[in-house]
Amino acid sequence: MTRLTTLPPAQAERLAALECPNFETTPWVTGPALSRRRVAIVSSAGLVVRGENPFRGRDPDYRAIPADTKADELLVSHISINFDRTGFQEDWNVVFPLDRLNELAADGVIGSVAQTHYSFMGATDPVQMEPYARALAGHLKHDQVDAAILSPV
Amino acid sequence: MSALGHYLEEEGIATVAISLIRPQTENTKPPRALWVPFELGRPFGPPNDPVFQKRVILTALRLLERESGPVIIEDFPDDDPRAQPDPAWHPPFVPAAAADGSAETLATQLEVEIPLLRGAHDLWLSQHGRTTVGLNALPMADCGRYVADWVRGKAPPSPRDGFSAPLMLRFAVDDVKAYYLEAGAAGAGKPSSQQLGDWFWNETAAGAAIHALRETCLATQDERLKLIAGNFMVPAARVRGTG
Repeated sequence: MTRLTTLPPAQAERLAALECPNFETTPWVTGPALSRRRVAIVSSAGLVVRGENPFRGRDPDYRAIPADTKADELLVSHISINFDRTGFQEDWNVVFPLDRLNELAADGVIGSVAQTHYSFMGATDPVQMEPYARALAGHLKHDQVDAAILSPV
Repeated sequence: MSALGHYLEEEGIATVAISLIRPQTENTKPPRALWVPFELGRPFGPPNDPVFQKRVILTALRLLERESGPVIIEDFPDDDPRAQPDPAWHPPFVPAAAADGSAETLATQLEVEIPLLRGAHDLWLSQHGRTTVGLNALPMADCGRYVADWVRGKAPPSPRDGFSAPLMLRFAVDDVKAYYLEAGAAGAGKPSSQQLGDWFWNETAAGAAIHALRETCLATQDERLKLIAGNFMVPAARVRGTG
């Protein structure tokens, strides 16, 4: 039920006008049918496994979230407080849909689920994230991942 | 998020992004995106609704099978049914916030209030088997005392090596909020985020104390503390005077 029109006007205006990178290329990677894809979650919720290094401010790097991480072990360390966290508190799939991906894999709808998932901290300037994102692609390929679902907050 | 999709796709990984803010996605032009009409913080929609969540994920993943593109930006058609308030929900009891509103009174009331929510939070734990409290890594009573001492203007040192005191204060405030919002949502009701936020910010001593803490920190000469307190404690929609 929440669209920009339901946010405080100043916040909506700031979010809509947020400067985004102006890319000159439009990359496009094709692949096999969904039933043969290996899928990873890449979040920008500042997710961190409990006890590991939380995001401090606008860190540009990412955190790894192993596929065997339990729901009780995942925390949000995003710097912004202007998004709902109660949905994630009740059910991590609202932000990190690992259970749903596992079900889709068990049903044969997708091929498999990655061994490791990842999170950035979305308030960071994307230009600062670029080298880390490009390095992350190498890790995803090493895990045979050929589809990433990108989850914001 | 869409920029990450661009970088990953350039490196050979096919991506599909969930979009919460359509104008940003339109500007960034990712290879594929599914805009969803959900609240910020809920990219896959309602909690504990696997059928709905799976529809969102599958609608997004199916975009990977499209042969025409880039750029694809589709809209998910349905609203989040859990965005509606639950009229039957009642928050746990907390005493009325202090009338005088002094820092010392608010700090003390925060410390008294936290243990009163223990039963509700234990119920939350038994219902959900998990908590999202833990960034600060202190037990909740100590976490509350750390925040309360900041409310009193004591500027206590960081309890954790390698983490600055203002950063630990931010984490402690996040943990207090998480503890209360989990306790508030315990039980049979299905409150909306708006209901929970209204309760926390308008009716609890913790909400009043964090408002006061923000003002106290903004009045200091510590620029880092002012930055954190000004932007990362009270949501923009809850800052007093901005409605």
